[in-house]
Amino acid sequence: MTDTQPPTHETGPSPDYTSERGEKAAPERADVLSGDFGSFDDHHPPAQELLDDCVHCGFCLPTCPTYALWGEEMDSPRGRIYLMEMAEKGEIPLEGAFTTHIDRCLGCMACVTACPSGVQYDRLLEATRPQIERNVPRSRADRLFREAIFTLFPYRRRLRAASLGGALYQKLRPATMDRLLAKLPRRLERLVAMESLLPPVSVRDAFARTPIFTPAVGTRRGRVGMLTGCVQDVFFHQVNLATVRVLAAEGHDVVAPAEQACCGALGLHAGREEESAERARALIAVFERAEVDVIAVNVAGCGSSMKEYGELLADDPVWADRAAAFSAKVRDVSEVLADALADSRAPRHRVDATVVYHDACHLGHAQKIRTQPRDVLRSIPGVTLTELPEAEICCGSAGIYNMLQPEAAGDLGRRKADNIRGTGADLLVTANPGCLLQIRKYLEGELPMLHPVQLLDASIRGVRPPGM
Amino acid sequence: MTTSDPTTVTPSSLEELRDAVLDRPGPIRVAGAGTAHDWAGTPAPAGTVLSTTGLSGIVTHNPGDMTAEVWAGTPFAQLQARLGEHHQRIAADPAREADGATLGGLFATADSGPRSLQYGSLRDVVIGATIVLADGTVARSGGHVIKNVAGYDLTKLLHGAHGTLGVLAALVLRLHPTPQVTATVAVPCDRAAMTDLARRVADSPVEAAAVAWHDGRLLALVEGSERGAEARARRLVETLGDEAGLLAPDDATAAWEAHDAAVRARPDDRAVLRFGVIPGSLSGVLDGLDTDTGGLTEVTASPRTGIATVALPADADVVAAAHRRVADAHGTSTLRQRPPGADLPAFGPAPASAALLRQVAASVDPDQRFGRGRLAPWLPLPSTTVGATA
Amino acid sequence: MATPTTATGPTTGPLAADFAAVLPDTCVITDEVGLRSYECDGLTGFRQVPAVVVLPRDAEEVAACVRVCARHGVPFVARGAGTGLSGGALPVADGVVISLQKLRRILEIDVENRRAVLEPGVFNLDITRAASPHGLYYAPDPSSQQVCTIGGNVAENSGGAHCLKYGFTTNHVLEMEVVLADGSLVTLGGPTGDQAGPDLRGLFIGSEGTLGICTKVTVRLLQTPESVRTLLADFPSIEAAGDVVGDIVEAAIIPAAVEMMDSLAMEAAEAATGAGLTVDAPAALIVELDGPADEVDAEFEHLTAICERHGATRLHVPTEAEERARVWKGRKAAFAAVGRISPDYIVQDGVVPRTRLAEVLTRIAEMGRDAGLRVANVFHAGDGNLHPLVLYSEAAGEHDAAEELSTQIAELCVELGGSLSGEHGIGTDKACSMPRMFSPDDLDVMHRVRLGFDPDSRCNPGKLFPTPRLCGERPGPYRPHPLEEAGVIERL
Repeated sequence: MTDTQPPTHETGPSPDYTSERGEKAAPERADVLSGDFGSFDDHHPPAQELLDDCVHCGFCLPTCPTYALWGEEMDSPRGRIYLMEMAEKGEIPLEGAFTTHIDRCLGCMACVTACPSGVQYDRLLEATRPQIERNVPRSRADRLFREAIFTLFPYRRRLRAASLGGALYQKLRPATMDRLLAKLPRRLERLVAMESLLPPVSVRDAFARTPIFTPAVGTRRGRVGMLTGCVQDVFFHQVNLATVRVLAAEGHDVVAPAEQACCGALGLHAGREEESAERARALIAVFERAEVDVIAVNVAGCGSSMKEYGELLADDPVWADRAAAFSAKVRDVSEVLADALADSRAPRHRVDATVVYHDACHLGHAQKIRTQPRDVLRSIPGVTLTELPEAEICCGSAGIYNMLQPEAAGDLGRRKADNIRGTGADLLVTANPGCLLQIRKYLEGELPMLHPVQLLDASIRGVRPPGM
Repeated sequence: MTTSDPTTVTPSSLEELRDAVLDRPGPIRVAGAGTAHDWAGTPAPAGTVLSTTGLSGIVTHNPGDMTAEVWAGTPFAQLQARLGEHHQRIAADPAREADGATLGGLFATADSGPRSLQYGSLRDVVIGATIVLADGTVARSGGHVIKNVAGYDLTKLLHGAHGTLGVLAALVLRLHPTPQVTATVAVPCDRAAMTDLARRVADSPVEAAAVAWHDGRLLALVEGSERGAEARARRLVETLGDEAGLLAPDDATAAWEAHDAAVRARPDDRAVLRFGVIPGSLSGVLDGLDTDTGGLTEVTASPRTGIATVALPADADVVAAAHRRVADAHGTSTLRQRPPGADLPAFGPAPASAALLRQVAASVDPDQRFGRGRLAPWLPLPSTTVGATA
Repeated sequence: MATPTTATGPTTGPLAADFAAVLPDTCVITDEVGLRSYECDGLTGFRQVPAVVVLPRDAEEVAACVRVCARHGVPFVARGAGTGLSGGALPVADGVVISLQKLRRILEIDVENRRAVLEPGVFNLDITRAASPHGLYYAPDPSSQQVCTIGGNVAENSGGAHCLKYGFTTNHVLEMEVVLADGSLVTLGGPTGDQAGPDLRGLFIGSEGTLGICTKVTVRLLQTPESVRTLLADFPSIEAAGDVVGDIVEAAIIPAAVEMMDSLAMEAAEAATGAGLTVDAPAALIVELDGPADEVDAEFEHLTAICERHGATRLHVPTEAEERARVWKGRKAAFAAVGRISPDYIVQDGVVPRTRLAEVLTRIAEMGRDAGLRVANVFHAGDGNLHPLVLYSEAAGEHDAAEELSTQIAELCVELGGSLSGEHGIGTDKACSMPRMFSPDDLDVMHRVRLGFDPDSRCNPGKLFPTPRLCGERPGPYRPHPLEEAGVIERL
């Protein structure tokens, strides 16, 4: 629906200063002038030694989605680290341009993959975002919008209610809606973005539950706990069911505790540290009670955060060790399945398809998991894998980014869609619901899109993959 | 205008060269072996002819580094022979070599032969130079190492300058090993077929060093090791079909000599034009010129580089039209051999960069002492001095 | 302090307003945070905040920006990806930075004629990516090829690992569109690389942005070689590895690349990439041969025999393209990877005649010992281009000593008959060393040529030429070139 707008990569980012102070003039900023941490407060500011790792070589630039769009130094990893340095020295304040450029980062971590010096941009960003959340007052509209997201998304019950409304709404959605939305003033574009992301969801799926215990088929390999997730369980319930079936077919008892809630990844990536820590503690407790060997995750963003609980709670004397033990058990579902390939229990049926696999950033860049999902897919007879040009560049989903920065996300989504089309594949497969929602928006109906476990599940069961 | 003969000076050292430039008044025409005396623009009268032939020989040759510094007046053929003793060579094969052309002369006229397909022209193997400007300033640029980005590549400015802007005293060259074996594959074909055949040569993995069309056949040159070159040439024969054949060594030499002879030819009442266009346009431009001129002769063409040398009637309108046709195809052209006294346009329509050229010339040779007239009309004669110095 | 968007001073106000008349608002940067982001390139030791940064979107807009600069009489600096290691894109005080990062279109891949037409902001590696489906590639491959731009390559005349056989940017650019200091657009070169008249294209390439801004480049594409064979060989000493290079040359083999790394460099590269380098070997060579299979096979046999003769302790032949790419990734990431073994380091870039490699390395090792600093060595052994990496700690106060050692190494290269720079350029970093390599007359002639292009010296001033402001009133004294001393060359 933004097709009528000029492509932004030609002009650069629009001056989206929603993060800048919106209503009243800034008070004198004490933090600009004082302290060892410059403009940052003393609660885990970006560590100087991590900043020092950056030698300004620029190898990160081509893989950075915002640099790919606009070519501006401040919207590149190298530039953002430079801004962090300046803030650390107290040379620039956090609010204003600093926040704008950090907000525009998708957190895709492609730069971490590209960096030859081993700069841990992921840790720098995770240290910087909470500083902004704590110290930069956001405009009222921005604040309300962010609150709305975090009041809705991490809660399965609320999402179900919303999806019910959404399902109804999509049935009734008048054909003129797109034109109406296109006419909305620019400040409402985030709402437009959120609206357009709503996936088609059946009411039955939204309210279905993942079975609490599913026994292994045949001899038992182990006991796997499964994260059912919040968005995933409501909008992609079929993926969860497929995950349970595939894990069981490969010899795992699958435990999906009913009392589990959101893992906190969305909030953590947005700098809402305290809220996320609380969610982490709750989830750890749930899985401790479940007594599992491994915790399998089928959402890249969640798995990435859960593997970092150890660091998130490192300062908490009660939880530090428990968090580290938890993180050590977390595996992406493709890791669990790839381990089983050498001694596979579940025979596959043929699926003749050219499949393009999209690396979700939180799987490829954050967790360095690239070969395992491909190996799992190659275990299906008839599947030909094809690679995507610009595979390292984010699709624009990036957690809640496509709601907060719809324009940039739209440009990236279209770019990814063009690349996918160019492969001529029959099927797109990716392991993150955010990516599926985002890419679906720009490739609606052009080709089926699945989570890898759905394709594997279809192959094991000998049924036609969904949508094919 | 008087017709008094100019004074020829032949310095034999850098110092003498600089002194000659300082001591002689007015315009100076630089000359090497004189094999291109009638190329490019008609030289304006000059009181002094500065011969570089006294600056001859190898200054230093470092076989281990594969570099050599050579006086600009060294005959190219003689130089290649000397380097050949070390199994090294300059990877360039301009036809004028056989006429005794000097290294500096070949460089100043931007001459190149068929091997430019693989190696480029002399500009691509020259890594440094010593030059003397009109005010006697002696300047060096580049150096004795192949890889060097310190300072401007001033040497390039004199490539194709036809004796304007400055005079070359010495050049430093990167050398290549002499190939153990060269082999030539020939396919009889008319000009219309050369493009497609040459494309097949290029698309094969054989990596021909040169591909040239002359006198009803396409020649492809393969250079390499004893084991490799023969095998590659045979593969090329297979690629090019039944008509193609590997030439016996003597036949190959004769074929290339005939090619070079056509490039160097001075047919009666005809002028020689060398031009370059995008390779895909070459055939069309040649056909157009054929029609325009009532038939080209002495045609040699390199269908993969887009460079051709042709003879056409020595008529100012015909030559001007030929330049225009090349320019319309987005190419460049320079007039070469012509009948004595023929007043023909040396270049096509002036590009936007001609203004830049005039500014650079004004900066390094403000009085236009060197090679006056050679780059006219792009570098026009100074209006106040025409005729005054003769 | 609160609103960073209007840091315009008295001079930038009207200037920025004029830019705003030729560019959209979002393409003119005047806020403090934005401007400071452009204060340095890949060489962070030199910093200067510009007055304005502009991001034009096409050649016409570049020309319009240059005309605004001309009207205001302000200097400008063109900037590509900002990866240069000589401070060539360092802004000028009160000057304008013209970023070319929005000119990133590949305008044409002409398969039949084997050419690519590019905007200057295209990443070097993307040319090959676009050409490879047609069996073609772009030969110059600087180590930073994934991020450096073709416009920057033109400015620096970049080479890369494979330039021994294939040459430099200047050997691969056929034609360029250039914006001159007065804002006029001209074309240099021609479709065949031949130009009627002097080779202004060749002069422009490698002029480090001091003659104008290139806005369109036509490059030659080469056919992907039929066969590529790479050998990774470890040696008991740097000398042994050096002897191998000599013997390769003697055998009339021109490898596509010959790279040497010492153990310190390998340690860093291995930590960064896991390329399969032997970290405790004193020296390793990466030799790559390419071309027709018949030739490559014959040469490769010869090559392994040479390595064995000189006591190679390991010969590793990566067979898969992927494995070969990993070895090269290890080599190409070496500079940046040194960040893993040292808090700070300086990358040097000097050239010596290849036959003097052993000598220069011995001298560098001695100089490093004297300075109490570690020096890692990565170099293009085939063409004598050294990249000593001087490791130091800013925190330990070693910066000045490291700078001094680094400069001494570059000047040592000149002393041995080589050059101050093989590929990184002179820029800001080495401008003061230029009188070590060139006489005042040499530099004066270069300067006169520059004035022909840019009479007011507004294109990237302060770079390449030594200036009193940068180098003190008396630039370093000229010392005779050793060839001059030996009577090999003369200077009058």
